[in-house]
Amino acid sequence: MRSTIPLVLTFLVGIFMVGEYFIPHWRYHQWTAVLLEWGLILAAAAFLLGLFNLVQVNLPKVMNKEEDWGYKLVMLVSLVGTLVVGFMGNTDRLSDGQAYKWLFDFVFVPLNATMFALLAFYIASAAFRAFRARNLEATVLLVAAIIVMIARVPMGEDLPLIGEKLPQFMNWIMDVPNIAARRAIFIGAALGAVATGLRVILGIERSHLGAD
Amino acid sequence: MSGIELVGAWVSIFLTVCVLSFLYDDNPVYKLAEHVFLGVSIGYGVIEIYFGVFKPNLLDKLMNDELGMLQRSLSIVPLILIIMLFSKVVPKYSWLARIPIAFIVAAYAGVKLTGELNANLMTQVAQSIPNLAEVWEKHGFWDWSADGAGVFSSLFLVLGLAACLLHFYFSAPQNKAMQQISRFGVLTLMLSFGASFGYTVMGRISLAIGRAQEMLGLDRSAEQVAQIHPRTASLICILLVVGYLVAWRRKQGDDYTPGN
Amino acid sequence: MKLDTLIKFQNMDRRWIFLGMGIAILLPLLFPITLSFNIDERVQSLYDSVEEVPAGSTVFISADFDPASRPELEPFFRANLHHLLRKDVKFVAATLWPSSPPLVMPIFEEITAEYGKEYGKDWCFLGFKDGKELAIKAIGENIPETFPTDIKGNKIADLAVARSFKQAKDFAMIINVSAGFPGTREYVLQIQGQYDLKIASATTAVSGPDYIPFYKAGQLTGLSAGMPGSAQYEQLVFPDGPREGERLMATQAVNVLNVGHLFIIVLILLGNIAFFVTRRVEEAAP
Repeated sequence: MRSTIPLVLTFLVGIFMVGEYFIPHWRYHQWTAVLLEWGLILAAAAFLLGLFNLVQVNLPKVMNKEEDWGYKLVMLVSLVGTLVVGFMGNTDRLSDGQAYKWLFDFVFVPLNATMFALLAFYIASAAFRAFRARNLEATVLLVAAIIVMIARVPMGEDLPLIGEKLPQFMNWIMDVPNIAARRAIFIGAALGAVATGLRVILGIERSHLGAD
Repeated sequence: MSGIELVGAWVSIFLTVCVLSFLYDDNPVYKLAEHVFLGVSIGYGVIEIYFGVFKPNLLDKLMNDELGMLQRSLSIVPLILIIMLFSKVVPKYSWLARIPIAFIVAAYAGVKLTGELNANLMTQVAQSIPNLAEVWEKHGFWDWSADGAGVFSSLFLVLGLAACLLHFYFSAPQNKAMQQISRFGVLTLMLSFGASFGYTVMGRISLAIGRAQEMLGLDRSAEQVAQIHPRTASLICILLVVGYLVAWRRKQGDDYTPGN
Repeated sequence: MKLDTLIKFQNMDRRWIFLGMGIAILLPLLFPITLSFNIDERVQSLYDSVEEVPAGSTVFISADFDPASRPELEPFFRANLHHLLRKDVKFVAATLWPSSPPLVMPIFEEITAEYGKEYGKDWCFLGFKDGKELAIKAIGENIPETFPTDIKGNKIADLAVARSFKQAKDFAMIINVSAGFPGTREYVLQIQGQYDLKIASATTAVSGPDYIPFYKAGQLTGLSAGMPGSAQYEQLVFPDGPREGERLMATQAVNVLNVGHLFIIVLILLGNIAFFVTRRVEEAAP
C-alpha cells in the first residue's frame, strides 16, 4: 500500500503530463494547467523543507556551541533578518528605501557576484597547472581554446595577417565541430532522459520513493 | 544618494574585499562573509517563493470568496500534499511524503520526456541531414564569406556527429575500424570542448571585470562617484583586510599551513 | 635552464597567478584602450528579430539572471529595453530565478520612466515563479492561472497590458535573458517546438556553445553570448555611442578581455613550454 499508491500516482500523473503534448483538447489542457500549478506549489514547498532542515541541523550546533558555532549563528541571524525585512516590506519590498532592497543591493549582490568572480582567478591557475598538450586530443583542445580566446575579443580582429580569417575560423569551429559534438551529446542525453522518464513513469525506477 | 545608501556602497565594497581574501587563504573574514551570504540568499529564496508562489497560487485562492466551490476545493489538494511532504520530518509518518514526491517526480518526468524527444532528438536529428545540392549551389565546397559554410562543412558535421555517437556506444566492443571512427569523434569533441573552454574563460573573467568596475566606480555616474569615493573605499577596505590577514597569520605562527 | 628551476616554476604558489590575473583585469580598466569589433551574425539576427516586432505589439521577457551574471547580461538587458520601448513595443515580464526580481525591477522602472511608459498599461512584471520546467510549461499553457497576480499584488485581469494574453504563443516573441538553469534550454525544450514560438536568447558565455545548435536549427531567432554579445548588441542599439551621462558597460568592459585572455594564453603556453622542457631534460638525464 505504502509503495503501491505512489507508484500508481506516478503512472497516472506521468501519462497525463505526456498526453499534454499530444492531446490539443482545451478541457484536457484545463486539467494539465491545474496539475502544473500544483507542481509549482509543491516544488516551492520542497525548498521550504530544505530551509527547515537547515535550521534543524544548525540550531542545535549553535545552542551546544559546537565547532564554528559563531559562523552558524551569523548565518541564522542573516536568514532571520532577511525574512523579517522581507515580510515587513510585503509587496513594496522592492521599492527604494526598503530594508529588503538595501540588503539585496549592498549585501547580497556583492557577495553573490564576488563568489563567482573568484572563478576567474581559479581558471587562470587551472589553465597554467593542468592544461597540458600531452597527446593529440589535448593539443586539439588547447589549439581550439586559444583560437576562440583570441578571436572572441576585439584584439583578435586587429591582428596582422590573420585578423580577418581568425574570427571566421572561430565561427567555423562553433558552427561545425561544436554543433556536431553538442548534437551528439543532446541526442545521447535525450535518449537517456526518455529512457529514465519511461522507467520512472512505469514504476521500474523507484529510488525517489526511498527504501521500504 | 542618501546616507544609508552611502553606507551601503562602502559595505558592498568591504564585503567584496572580504570574499576576495579567499584568494590568499580560507580565513575568518571570508568565512564570515560566506555565512552571511548563505543566510541572506536562503532568506531571499524563501521570501520570493512566498510572494511569488504560495501567496498568489495557494493562499489567495483558498481565501478568495469570488472563486467557485470547485476552484477553491482544488486549491486544498496542494495544501494537503504540502502537509504530507512535511511529514518527512516525523519518522513514523515519513512514508506519507512519498505521495507528493511521486507527484512531483512524475510531473517532471512527463514534461521532460516530451520536451527532450521533440527539441533535442527529433529537431536536432532533422537539422543534421543537409541538402547537399542546395548547399553546393549556395556556398560551393568552402565559402569563407559564410564562415566556412559549404559541402565540406556539411559533411564534416554529419560525419562528426555520427562519429561522436559511435564513440558514446560503450555497451559493445569496438573493432579497429570503429575505433578509428571513434577517434575522429573524440577529436570533434575536443574541438568543441576547447571552444567551450575559451567561452568559459571569457565568462569567468567577465564576472571579475564586473567586480573591478564596481570597486573602481566605473559603473556609477560622476555624481555618485564624487559622493562614494569608491577607489578610496576600496583602498581602505583592502588595507583593513590585509592588516587583519597579517595579524591572523602571525597569530597562527608555525601552525599555519596554506589551504590554497 | 636548470631542472629544479623549471619544476619550481611549474609548481609556483598559485597566489602569484591570482595577483597576475588581478593586474590583467585592473590595468585595462585604469588605462582603457578602445578597439572596435565586428557584429556576430547571431547577434545581428537577434537585433533584426526584435526590429521586426511591430509597434504596439507585446513581447514576453523572461529575465532569468542573478547578480553573478550581471556583468554579462545586464548591459544586454538594458539595451534590449531601450530597443523595445523606442519602437513603442509593450512587454510583460516574469522570471524563474528568485534573486532576479530585486535586480530587474529597478531597471524596468528606471528605463520605462525615461520613455513615459505607464505600469499596467505599457508594461508589467509578473514576478518570480518556482518550478523550473513546470513553470515554463505552465507559461506555455496558461499564463493567468500561473500568475494570478503581478509582483505588486495586482490581479492580472486588472492589467491592461497582460489580461488579453493567455498563452506564450499570444505574444509577438519571447526574449529570454538567461544565466543558466532554468533558462533558454528549458524554454526551447518545453514550449518552443510545441507552440512554434519565436524565442531570442541572451545568455552567459558558458552556455553560449550549448545554444548554438538551437540557433542553427531555427529554434532560436537570435543569440547573444556573454559580454562580447552584449557589447555587440549595445553597438547595434546605440550606433552613435552612449547617451549623455551614461556608459555602455559591456562595450567598456569587453576591451578588458583582451588583456585577460592574453594573460591566460601566456600562462598556458609558459606552462606547456616548462612541461615539455622538463620532460626532455628528465628523459635525457642518465
